Amino acid sequence: MIVHSGLYRRRRAGNAMFLTLSVFAAIFGIVWLTAILGSLFYNGFSAISPKLFEEMTPPPGSDGGLLNAIFGSVVMSAIAVAIGTPVGLMAGTYLAEYGRHGWGSFFVRFINDILLSAPSIVIGLFIYEIVVVNTPTTHRVCQAILGSWCPIGHFSGIAGALALTVIVIPVVVRTTENMLLLVPNGLREAAAALGAPRSRVIRAVTWKAARAGIITGALLAIARISGETAPLLFTAFNNQFWSTDLNGPIANLPYVIFQFAMSPYEDWHHLAWAGALLITAAVLGLSIAARILERSNRS
Amino acid sequence: MVDIVLSDALTSRAEAVRRFGRRDSLFRAMTALAALLVVAVFAGVITSLTIGAMPAIHKFGWNFLTSEVWDPVQEEFGALASIYGTLLTSALAMLIAVPVGIGIAIFLTEICPRPLRRPIGIAIELLAGIPSIIYGIWGLFTFAPAFQQTAEPWLIDLFGNVPVLQDYLGGAPYGIGIFTAGLILSIMVLPFISAVTRDVFETVPPMLKEAAYGLGCTTWEVMWRVVLPFARTGVVGGAMLALGRALGETMAVTFVIGNAHNIQKSVFAPGTTISATIANEFTEAVGDLYLSSLIEMGLILFFITFVVLACAQMMLRSLERRAGG
Amino acid sequence: MDAPVNAGIKVDIRNLSFYYGDTKALKDISLPLRDRQVTAFIGPSGCGKSTLLRVLNRIYELYPRQRAEGEVILDGENILSPGQDINLLRARVGMVFQKPTPFPMTIRDNIAFGIKLYERMPRSELEGRIEHALQRAALWNEVKDKLGESGLSLSGGQQQRLCIARTVATKPEIILLDEPCSALDPISTAKIEELIDELSADYTIVIVTHNMQQASRTSDYTAFMYLGELVEFGPTEKIFTTPENKRTEQYITGRFG
Repeated sequence: MIVHSGLYRRRRAGNAMFLTLSVFAAIFGIVWLTAILGSLFYNGFSAISPKLFEEMTPPPGSDGGLLNAIFGSVVMSAIAVAIGTPVGLMAGTYLAEYGRHGWGSFFVRFINDILLSAPSIVIGLFIYEIVVVNTPTTHRVCQAILGSWCPIGHFSGIAGALALTVIVIPVVVRTTENMLLLVPNGLREAAAALGAPRSRVIRAVTWKAARAGIITGALLAIARISGETAPLLFTAFNNQFWSTDLNGPIANLPYVIFQFAMSPYEDWHHLAWAGALLITAAVLGLSIAARILERSNRS
Repeated sequence: MVDIVLSDALTSRAEAVRRFGRRDSLFRAMTALAALLVVAVFAGVITSLTIGAMPAIHKFGWNFLTSEVWDPVQEEFGALASIYGTLLTSALAMLIAVPVGIGIAIFLTEICPRPLRRPIGIAIELLAGIPSIIYGIWGLFTFAPAFQQTAEPWLIDLFGNVPVLQDYLGGAPYGIGIFTAGLILSIMVLPFISAVTRDVFETVPPMLKEAAYGLGCTTWEVMWRVVLPFARTGVVGGAMLALGRALGETMAVTFVIGNAHNIQKSVFAPGTTISATIANEFTEAVGDLYLSSLIEMGLILFFITFVVLACAQMMLRSLERRAGG
Repeated sequence: MDAPVNAGIKVDIRNLSFYYGDTKALKDISLPLRDRQVTAFIGPSGCGKSTLLRVLNRIYELYPRQRAEGEVILDGENILSPGQDINLLRARVGMVFQKPTPFPMTIRDNIAFGIKLYERMPRSELEGRIEHALQRAALWNEVKDKLGESGLSLSGGQQQRLCIARTVATKPEIILLDEPCSALDPISTAKIEELIDELSADYTIVIVTHNMQQASRTSDYTAFMYLGELVEFGPTEKIFTTPENKRTEQYITGRFG
């Protein structure tokens, strides 16, 4: 066989060029990662002090901390996970155990995946429309049921938590379904063969087998909502003072960062960086925890 | 003796069975209810947004989509600038992120030395984990000023005398603007593209690659002519998923887009996107029509992302089916 | 093995056909399973022996598009009729699978799982039942000091005996064994074959095996199946020494399968 040396040389050159480009692509990604994390640590670290956890968000020109914002974020996230995880678990269980192949499940899965990647600001608008806007009939009904806890008609931590819940649910549904599908059928058969009814098989055996994966899903959901700002912009809104009243506007880290960063004040910028560092640390910490859990589960 | 024991067992079993029947039905109903809730939320989003957008829809009709006017004082609103910004920033982001993301996937699958594969892979994934507001403030405080002083003037000068391009790549260096927003978006979404592409590469049967190598193909030729075509649907699906996310991204864009409600030729000029407009103006919006216009924009955004995400899903699902999943 | 011909019939399979979707996997099978005897189903891969076994506790109903026609009479009632409660049936007909499947729980909870489904009893009685089941599975001495450890921490052979103990704990009347030793080493296999012999004194046992020597060692009756049909059924000794059907003879002598 005669090798056409010119052609071959061109192919090799092309190969070298494109592979080099791939390397550059990887470098591109890593450079930006370093730039962002580097900048975050550089700017945020200097603003980290115990005061962050002791004082409230200050007016411009004064010293302060982020305590009220941290509190608001933690409480709303906790509520979102507390409500969203069981709902997501049950829905994911339905998709994996009862409706694995039906048309209904296909539809639910499709809708769920759309919600999973939907713009979070739209979720915020949704909760705004049904909770924050004062529709007289809903207000009356809600007040009749919930009394002074009724969140209809104003900004509130409850509304913010609800918006976050809507973001949590699709994440948990997806991971739950995936994890349950990984549980080998032999385990289900063994439990059924003992005479256990379907619900018992699922609760006592299948869920237990998928437990690590489901928890990982919950951790990932928390990581996801930790950084979400848009859904809180017009639900929880913001509060520059300390407040434990969830039925009113409540401070939260993302909104505070948004407000402080967009302002012209230097000390507010410092606090914004500090808040950003806190959020990133939380998110990365949760992601690492999820990874460790996943690895120990596999072994 | 054995018979008596057996019949005791049978009666208690019969009771247990009756309990089971009720519990099973209840449990199943609860799971179905939860699944229904997901659909209800979706329906709720569409319904509530449509209702909220009604005043604006009635007032402006289709003009809303074609008008660039944004005048809160005269209560005259048009979403064209926002829609344009959303589409353009996302398109820019895809232009950069798709080749880079695929390049990273190729790097990690074929070129990267094995011990480095996990750490670099994790590093790329970290990019996906960073919350968008971090991208936003980084963009505003670190990237935009640096860009304004270094790369942007250089680029503007570079194309300054090229006849057609000088309009699209010219103007004053603001630092912020459509290009900056697009670039930051691209960094945000490239981990998604990289991850999906890597997953898709794993579904390629090794035999296929071996056959190509066996014919004397270079690594690049194997990827370009065999692997990528095979994985085409999945890669496109992954790209569309990333596009869906880019379209809806708010915080990363709001800080650096400049919030200018007009369409300018240059990509270096400030502009706005749907989500940025809503984020910046919602809490200050006075008047029902203003609010309603913002909500209508939210509805438009939801519609656009729905179409993109639905297409993405169809492509990714057809890939799953092919791989036997 | 001696096969007392007058042992009563525990399960009478009559004209049983089975379908995976549109494919007929079992064709009109009729055979008796005798009380407290060991019946073996043998045959080449794909002959339907596992399918037939899985009809006996209706475990196939976990999957859509699988259905059975015909009758399977257990103590006078057709277990395939729609009015039958499946869970109750499965409490009476236990099953041990090819791959050991310990639940992700402690050894104690593994055994207790089946018991607690249907019976309420004080803690001490439960512990006694657990010990008894583990004794019958010849596992008690090996695990009595580590009942609180995970079932997954046992070896393959031990896990399979755990599954047998789990099945025996619910006091079933029939035990189905689907190639219980195919994933195990020879020593564990021998232990389990011993177990089958002991258990047959109290339970009606059906074992599916592709190992003919195992069938001839452990069973009182043997059913030879081929391509979804029952080719020959009879006392094991007869099947293995003087089979009536030519194909049976060919399979026994290793001519195919």
